Amino acid sequence: MPDRTAARLMQTTTRLKPLAERVETCTAGAARLLVLPTPVRSIVSFRGSFKTYPDFAAGTDLVQDLAVQLLDKGTRRRDRFAIAEVLENRGVELDFHTDGLWVRFSGRALRDDLPEVIPILTEQLREPLFDPGEFEKAKAHLAASLERSRESTAAQASAALARRLYPRAHPNYRPDPADDLARLAALTVDDVRAFHARHFGANDLTIVFVGDVDPGTVEALVREGPGAWTPAAVQAPFAERGRAASPGRTVVPMPDKENVDVRMGHPLPVRRQDPAFIPLYVANYILGGNFSARLMSTVRDEMGLTYGIYSTLYGVTTEYEGHWQVDVTLSRENVERGVEATLAEVRRFVEAGVTREELDEKKTTITGRFKVDLATTGGLAANLLRNAERGFDVGYLDRFPGEVEALTLAQVNEAVQAYFDPGRFHIALAGSLPD
Amino acid sequence: MQLSETAQVLPEDVTEAFAFVEASGGIEAYRLRSNNLHVLLLPEAAAPVVTFMVTYRVGSRNETTGLTGATHFLEHLMFKGTERFSKERGTSIFNVLQRVGAQVNATTWLDRTNYYALLPREHLALAVEIEADRMRNARIREEDLESERTVILNELDRGENEPLRKLYHAVWSTAFMAHPYHHPTIGWRSDVEHVSAEGLRHFYDTFYWPDNATVSIIGDFDRSEALRLVHRHFGPIPPAPAPVPEVYTREPEQRGERCIVVRQAGRLGAVMVAFKSPPALDPDADALDVLATALATGKNSRLYRHLTDRGLTTHLYANASRLRDPGLFFILAMLAPDQTHAGVEAAIEEVLDTVRRDGLTETELARAKNQLRAREAFSRDGPYAVATQLNEAIAAGDWKLYTTYLDRIERVTATDVRRVAQAYLVEDRRTVGRYVPIPDSPTADA
Repeated sequence: MPDRTAARLMQTTTRLKPLAERVETCTAGAARLLVLPTPVRSIVSFRGSFKTYPDFAAGTDLVQDLAVQLLDKGTRRRDRFAIAEVLENRGVELDFHTDGLWVRFSGRALRDDLPEVIPILTEQLREPLFDPGEFEKAKAHLAASLERSRESTAAQASAALARRLYPRAHPNYRPDPADDLARLAALTVDDVRAFHARHFGANDLTIVFVGDVDPGTVEALVREGPGAWTPAAVQAPFAERGRAASPGRTVVPMPDKENVDVRMGHPLPVRRQDPAFIPLYVANYILGGNFSARLMSTVRDEMGLTYGIYSTLYGVTTEYEGHWQVDVTLSRENVERGVEATLAEVRRFVEAGVTREELDEKKTTITGRFKVDLATTGGLAANLLRNAERGFDVGYLDRFPGEVEALTLAQVNEAVQAYFDPGRFHIALAGSLPD
Repeated sequence: MQLSETAQVLPEDVTEAFAFVEASGGIEAYRLRSNNLHVLLLPEAAAPVVTFMVTYRVGSRNETTGLTGATHFLEHLMFKGTERFSKERGTSIFNVLQRVGAQVNATTWLDRTNYYALLPREHLALAVEIEADRMRNARIREEDLESERTVILNELDRGENEPLRKLYHAVWSTAFMAHPYHHPTIGWRSDVEHVSAEGLRHFYDTFYWPDNATVSIIGDFDRSEALRLVHRHFGPIPPAPAPVPEVYTREPEQRGERCIVVRQAGRLGAVMVAFKSPPALDPDADALDVLATALATGKNSRLYRHLTDRGLTTHLYANASRLRDPGLFFILAMLAPDQTHAGVEAAIEEVLDTVRRDGLTETELARAKNQLRAREAFSRDGPYAVATQLNEAIAAGDWKLYTTYLDRIERVTATDVRRVAQAYLVEDRRTVGRYVPIPDSPTADA
């Protein structure tokens, strides 16, 4: 890595240099490393990810969930308490999580503690202990999470919609918690060990550091640590598209739930890198992206029917397609009226399109908000990692606001007409519905 | 920063308008001479953004029977705007601020209400103008009240869906019988259903004045320019015509353990064990903070090792509330499958017994302090994170609780922790809540 000091990379005025000039990018062994020094005192945020290719159709993403949960429960060199002693005595935060295709880690540490933290992270990734006793606890823990998700109207409605929209082999599919509980009961510690041995490795491994950090120091630490990991020779197919199913409705009756969560949506044959994505992203923002968007402005603010109503382009990546989703929360007595009001608003949006004024407003909203999102080390690290996972160069983050600014009204309305259709909405409701 | 230095670097027009009060931990405090508005400045030019926040020293502790939830209801109505910033004119507060990319919202809690915008630095003036305008010019209209009432009732229903939230409120309501911490901030449903525009207007006219508010500006801004903006927009507002009413209700001493059970459809139970605790500014609250951290933060914490690591619980949380008035030190434990409430309560009690008897080891004390030190450093990551911490310190009664926090924690000794454990974690001042799930079997109908 070039010997550039942090001071030369930083500016503290509104005219910050482009990220492409401030982020140091290099390879450290098998890892791709991105380092951004910022003028924050002593703290460093770090995030990383790699691919594991679980077989979604066979349900091995559940095995992956268990494996990830066990990463911080001891390694072959040190037990869970010895590791915790090192991290907790320094106030280090370090978490592992997975969303299917990727296993991710994230954390924060004081600058001087990185030489202790990165070797531990390496051990946890590469040499987890998978102790049988810990495995049983992790199983109980995961079972409890699944049970609690059955208590949540939001989780139940979202998962029910996902089951309508996707085949089992798609990363956005959400199994019924009851099915997962049954599968979980049959899993053994050997399943987890085998999964780790076969699937965990430096596949598309990217690590990002942002904050009071010296690029040369972390490069050496990563090269010796996670960068010395070898990729795993594994690929598993996954479905890249949603189901072509006829629209319909799923109701998940839940007692004692006066608030009903409603999700509606349809598959979206678009990927993040497609030209249609940015116009659809902005169009969706106009409909349901924030408090001043149409849905909140009408269904909440004018009609008083809901506390929260939003729309999103959900689960759209560079590798698979996602869907368009509207979320609304409704008190029991307002369910039908609220669903109708929401659908009416969405129909109006699709039929009449967006106005120039709306487009201009949301352009400045999105570009301004983008700047705000990059105001913390955590926000910067999250954006840099997500961008890298998409296979985009760092400069894309500098170009993104310009892409939004350049949109024309015709491009946005054409995208709305081509891709959004409330007539194809699937609907899922969870809660104590009126009789 | 020295007082004299600060006074010297500001131009004359600024020092005429503002009295410098004090500085601590990089934050400077000023008072707007014309109306006693408090102003806190923390210049941090790490990114070209700034947070502008107004904290009103009014929360649900200031509410009386029949007006519970008024503070929160009013917070919602404050977004309905003023004559200048309104939906009809195409200048609603959300529209105007979100148009420039602001992250904007407001929150209400027991001791305070805050309105904030995190936005690109060049738009600071907009946030100042809006907050000054709605400090005294909010339209509190009957028609807005009715549409917002159903919004809040839906928010209330969302909360009622959550057993843990119900447990939390049940414990506070049981622990506090006289003091207004008894009622949840969102209010009792019947009060939300019946409160009038007149009642909320009276509440607004009682509490929303510059001398009952603190303005905080954090991030990338020019000190003199920011103060000029505050002076220009807030300066013309008069101080409150009458003193803000004090809350003089004190909770009577609790003379015996209280228990409460919440039953609701669900899967896994939970336990909340709470003890009366001192107000935020009491030094004993620092020792209780250290104790809460040592009990439940990380895998080497006592409760994790004794309960979660042994499969009794899946999640544990300990907190020493730091409120303006005496609050609660509490432990919230979520039961693992097949575990009993009694078993978990007994295990928690065993752990607390050891702390009462022996206190913490020096290793545990050092670890807890390090964790709090790191947490404080992380809380300086960006102007929004700072604002949220500062907001609670203002609410507690002294903003310097934020800047002196680490010094206060540093002074805590193992002896202090043992003493506060013996003084506060006593059976007679304990309230135990159980969430007992009523099993159900949801089935999806395609």
